[in-house]
Amino acid sequence: MKKLLTATTLCLSALCSMASLAAEGDVGVAAAMDDRYCSTCHGVEGIGNIAIEAPRLAGIEAWYLKRQLENFRAGIRGTHGEDTQGIAMRPMAAKLSDESIADIVAWVGDWEYVPAKVTVEGNVNQGRTAFQTCAACHGVNAQGNEALGAPALAGQNDWYLLAQLRNFRADFRGSHREDTYGSQMVTMSKTLRDDQAVINVVSYINTLQ
Amino acid sequence: MTNPVSRREFLNLLGAYGGTSTVLQAGAALGFMPSSQAAEIALQANNGKKVAILGTGISALTTAWELTKAGYDCTVLEASHRPGGRMFTVRSGTVIDEIGNYQRCEWDNDPHLYFNAGAARIPSIHSNVLKYCKELEVELQVFVNESKTAWVQDDAINGGKPVRNTDYSSSMQGFISEMLSKALGDSHLDSSLTESESETLLSMLRSFGDLNEDMLYKGSTRAGYGTGGFLDHGTTKDVIALRDLLKTQLARNVMVTTQEGTGSGPLLMQPVGGMDRIIYAFANRLGNRIKFRSPVTEVMVKDDGVEVAYEQNGVTEVLKADYCFNCIPSHLMSGIPNNFPAEYSEALNYIRRGKAYKAAFQAKERFWEKEGIYGGISWVNAPTQQIWYPPHNIHGKKGVVLAAYNFGGANYTEMSQEDRIEDLLKHGEKVHPNYREMAEKPITVAWHRMNHMLGCAPRWARNRGGWSDKEEQMYETLRQPVNGRHYLIGDQSTQHSAWMESAIQSAHYALADLDQRVRSEPA
Repeated sequence: MKKLLTATTLCLSALCSMASLAAEGDVGVAAAMDDRYCSTCHGVEGIGNIAIEAPRLAGIEAWYLKRQLENFRAGIRGTHGEDTQGIAMRPMAAKLSDESIADIVAWVGDWEYVPAKVTVEGNVNQGRTAFQTCAACHGVNAQGNEALGAPALAGQNDWYLLAQLRNFRADFRGSHREDTYGSQMVTMSKTLRDDQAVINVVSYINTLQ
Repeated sequence: MTNPVSRREFLNLLGAYGGTSTVLQAGAALGFMPSSQAAEIALQANNGKKVAILGTGISALTTAWELTKAGYDCTVLEASHRPGGRMFTVRSGTVIDEIGNYQRCEWDNDPHLYFNAGAARIPSIHSNVLKYCKELEVELQVFVNESKTAWVQDDAINGGKPVRNTDYSSSMQGFISEMLSKALGDSHLDSSLTESESETLLSMLRSFGDLNEDMLYKGSTRAGYGTGGFLDHGTTKDVIALRDLLKTQLARNVMVTTQEGTGSGPLLMQPVGGMDRIIYAFANRLGNRIKFRSPVTEVMVKDDGVEVAYEQNGVTEVLKADYCFNCIPSHLMSGIPNNFPAEYSEALNYIRRGKAYKAAFQAKERFWEKEGIYGGISWVNAPTQQIWYPPHNIHGKKGVVLAAYNFGGANYTEMSQEDRIEDLLKHGEKVHPNYREMAEKPITVAWHRMNHMLGCAPRWARNRGGWSDKEEQMYETLRQPVNGRHYLIGDQSTQHSAWMESAIQSAHYALADLDQRVRSEPA
């Protein structure tokens, strides 16, 4: 818990200039902002929030989270006009220092993973066949492969996987010239024939633990 | 300049005139002003029940206040550093806790200089809001919602130069009257009316449109005078031709002086000093029953009560209560672990979050008063949409101008603070040439990104045609307390969101249900 608090305080001191709050009326307010912005959108302990379209963070690999935060900060991700969720994330990351990214990654690492609810249902058998291409990088159980820069897919919110695959296919994500891994995904995602194939493959990932 | 309109043109413009009989039928409802009596709350007193109240929107504060008065043991949990939710007033020193766009208001420290970034107007039929203002001694003043001297600006009319509201609306009113009086000669229309009714209607139209003896609109001194009017005879201003009037879509805003569902026309009210005076009137009386910076982390409904986990100072606490009243926005509840039934969660997840945007600045001088504007709204055909002038502190030194109010939010959420400011200045200076020079320290509030809110007024119906059966069903699901213990309140639990009155009534509805339950419990 102590570690968690330190991380929070540090990451937020980077996010906002620490002006003291003026008391409004007679109700006292404390002297500094200590709110945890990450969980406002991503849910308590990063369980993900479908209503905000903010994905699960609990259970995410540290190296992958770090890379994505750095990509958002650099404008490599979240700058395409059609990537609405990415655009929502970018201002948060834009102000992070290397130190606060490290703190956030450590903070998120403390969160307990709770299995995600299944919201996407397609043809699992067809999805299994299609997934063989994905498995080359993401692993046969979609457990991820750091050496190849491919994150785990199993356990992520299925609606998020669906949205990101659609984004890659439409060039909303991964089209930035410095997004090395994203550009690979643009190519790979286009091997899926149509949107139904995308739904099928996500349905198959739902069966992997 | 007047371009007379033929009957054929008129009929084409109207599309169909069979609507008259419909209008007449609707007249049967006349006289039935929607009644909105303030509720009489008489709860069972001193029963020792413990209640957890989640959030400090006005529905939560209403609940906490009424239950506290009746002797319930209330604990109110608020995630933010401030109470009020979308009843949020910005003034000197206020922190605008927008995620990724932290702002601190540095306007002059003057009680007149404030900006109601959320709720801003109280209609006179919103009896329950008014009831609490009276009970809690919140001083009110008149809010001027419409000024005929304010501007209408659209690049499509008058070469982009602003037109006075009165020039626009007088001409539009004149033409509407002229066209309708012509149509009255039509046998189809006549057959729906008696001779006496026709005469009454014609007489009203002559007055409504300020028509001449030939029932034609040739200008009106209601728009002010072209020349003279005081020491000399007044002359009318030039009429704006109908076709020019129709070049802007703003007619739908300019011609409507009554907010939807408010019944009370241009007369609206505001608390002296800011809308959050109501919030602090509640909060000060509730004192330390409210725990700030205490985000809820879990809501578990049990057989005999509700357990609410929350964090305070980094420590997780569990509040055990007999009942729970929850005004946390539905889209945030999706990210908070809970054990709600599946259909309840489905309904919660269905409600979409509104995306409203407002901006304001402190004006160096009250420049609008030099243009004869005292309160009211200028309508602009730009995403900023509206400019509001403060109706209070007339002839004072400075004032706060609301520089944008886009109820749909446009794409302001995605814009940087610098771009938002440039946008409001760019559109505003088309209305007031010295706008940019007058604007000090602009503040923007994109509700979609406000911490602990992430949205504005909830949106239920997904089709313009109204609520579907499924939506009605989900709404009823959410109005029923989970296990008789957990009540969803707030304007999300009403069919007319965005108004304080709705939120208060949602609290009253839930309180009535609670009262019935506790009274029926075995002693």
